[in-house]
Amino acid sequence: MKTILKLALATTMLMPAAAFAQDAVEITLWHMEQPPHRVARVQELIDAFNAANPGIVVTQEPQNWGEVYAKTPAALAAGQGPDMLFAIPDFTPILKDIGALTSVEEFVEELDAKHDFVDSTVEAYSYDGGVWAVPLYNMTMNLWYRKSVLEEAGIEVPSTWEEWRDAAETLSVDGVSGMGLPANRQLYTDQTVYSVMTNGGATEIYNEDGTLRFDNPETVASFEFYNDMLQFSPADSTSWTWGEAEACFSSRSCAMVMQFSVIATYDTQAEGDAADLGVAPIPSRDGEEHNTIAYANAVMLLSTDDEKMEASKKFVSFLLEPENYGRFLNMEPGLFMPVTADGATAETFWSDPMVEKYREQIETIIDNGQNGRLFGFTSGRTFPSIAAISAQNIIAETLQAVAVSGQSPADAVAAGQARMEEAAR
Amino acid sequence: MQQSKALAFALVAPAMLVLAATLGWPLVQAVQLSLQDVRVIGSPGTFVGFDNYRHILGGSAFWNAAGLSIVWVVANAVLQTALALVAALILNEKFPGVRVARTWIILAWIVPTVVVVVIWRWLFSTSGGMINPLLIQSGLVDRPIGFFATPWTAMATLVFVNSWRWFPFIALMILAGLTRIPDDLHEAARIDGANAWQRFRRITWPLLAPTLVVLAVIGTMLSFNVFDIIWLLTSGGPAGGSRTLPVLIYETAFKSYRLSEAATISVLATLLLMAFAVIATRALDRDGAER
Repeated sequence: MKTILKLALATTMLMPAAAFAQDAVEITLWHMEQPPHRVARVQELIDAFNAANPGIVVTQEPQNWGEVYAKTPAALAAGQGPDMLFAIPDFTPILKDIGALTSVEEFVEELDAKHDFVDSTVEAYSYDGGVWAVPLYNMTMNLWYRKSVLEEAGIEVPSTWEEWRDAAETLSVDGVSGMGLPANRQLYTDQTVYSVMTNGGATEIYNEDGTLRFDNPETVASFEFYNDMLQFSPADSTSWTWGEAEACFSSRSCAMVMQFSVIATYDTQAEGDAADLGVAPIPSRDGEEHNTIAYANAVMLLSTDDEKMEASKKFVSFLLEPENYGRFLNMEPGLFMPVTADGATAETFWSDPMVEKYREQIETIIDNGQNGRLFGFTSGRTFPSIAAISAQNIIAETLQAVAVSGQSPADAVAAGQARMEEAAR
Repeated sequence: MQQSKALAFALVAPAMLVLAATLGWPLVQAVQLSLQDVRVIGSPGTFVGFDNYRHILGGSAFWNAAGLSIVWVVANAVLQTALALVAALILNEKFPGVRVARTWIILAWIVPTVVVVVIWRWLFSTSGGMINPLLIQSGLVDRPIGFFATPWTAMATLVFVNSWRWFPFIALMILAGLTRIPDDLHEAARIDGANAWQRFRRITWPLLAPTLVVLAVIGTMLSFNVFDIIWLLTSGGPAGGSRTLPVLIYETAFKSYRLSEAATISVLATLLLMAFAVIATRALDRDGAER
């Protein structure tokens, strides 16, 4: 009898939860912000959203960039895909081509009217008559150094390629690498090489008619310079991803690194002296205009169910509200920059203790981002075939042909263009 | 006789059905896919006959990867067998703590691959790793070595890490073989004046050889298909220097988005392995019959 009573009580207690779960619209978010503190911050925002929207239950499933290009099409084909998925510009054409995306143009216009998107962030997702993702946060590549290290060596912050090389050479003493640069066949290397290319006059890898122009003298010169700089980088640079560069800088094994941000690791794993942390634009060949790679990460809305699509839009709107947006961006302070006008002035963004501490550096990052470029998305044009080129890391592969296989930059770049044409076919 | 044949068939049938469902059907699907032009998974394709086979066999990527797979398999077989044989011979001796040592050696094998990779990646790193400072302090090198910096060093390092992970398993198999060799034989040889090397060469090695041959066949199959350690440590790099066939299949399917071409490489790799398995099985049968 006691057992029956217990069972009845348990059933009664579980019933409301079961009924709630049945009624609520459940949506899943896949993102690639894997570090635990970022996952925790996203969860805080999800919890706040779920509490404010009893009819919707958002759950997150962190993924990683290395696998998400493979996993997503497979998951969607199996009917197990997410309802929302974070993206970078060259990821969207892949999913659009298999018919997994519907345009969110009207939704983006609605958000733009409210928050005022930075135009370039929307442009990168606008092609083929639609807008395929909602911009969420910007990232900009920068040159990081310690002011005291440069001062001790009697070096000014490099502005030209020549000054940069001299600085790297001077700073390469006592087991320290003057300049940490990746040479892995991986996205990080694509990003750093392109940052050098865009400062060497090789910003455009497409002609206006969509044919490739990767094989040109400016690209060859950029690869030649990058390869020359690699002699001042640690011996295992050919297997580096972002983490190794940050670790190298934090441990003082690298005097300078090219990275979106080192603030979090510098603050938690190194000395954390804000006054000594220097950030500068990437040096350019002639020292005049400084460009860099910069792009907006966005969220794709994938649900084919109307209710889930509406719930997803509601969640994205929630994230972009200034009272939430700063907290969202500061899941990694100093790395993610606002893509909206009201986000750029949001109190929630600037009041974070880490942002307050490194305000000078963050303002410099925002300035550097003004001249941001992204391969395949330049001069207001978008070339969707960049998706296949980027997925295969052909820019990084071309660097490896020079740095590892010993090909001449001219031969490697010519072969790189052939590979790009093959990938784009 | 007829009845016992039927019973044997009935007993084997469930296992054969499971194999057909888990191996046969995917293989049929792979062959079917290899005759189409499917790119991204889930997208439609059209029949293209043997175009993919002509494209793959006519390019260099497949042959480079096949060559690297052979290097990978042979290098692993040699290193793993050598390490395992030494470990098994030591563990076959009687000394205090041998039972603990036999348990302890298996730990390297049961540690998850990702953990193995994280540990070795850190140990080999030039920024904060332990191996480079040790080599420099001992005077063996004067500057940090990039263990994954060149195709040759990357492949050698991968073989080392993979062998480190797998040799305990092989050592236990060899140990099992060693324990089956009667002590009387060694004792008699010792009385006849044979030294340790002579006993190993004339008794241990010949009696252990069948076990080693079986292990070599199984080890080849297992090594050939290793993907996780290579992908997690080098992703097939640098400059394709560790891009074995499984890595090439993954890259072709999920980075180049050429699913049908990846299926073609899979079919070709399966044919290679099946040919090896048939030859090895026949050799084992012949060997068994002779003995």
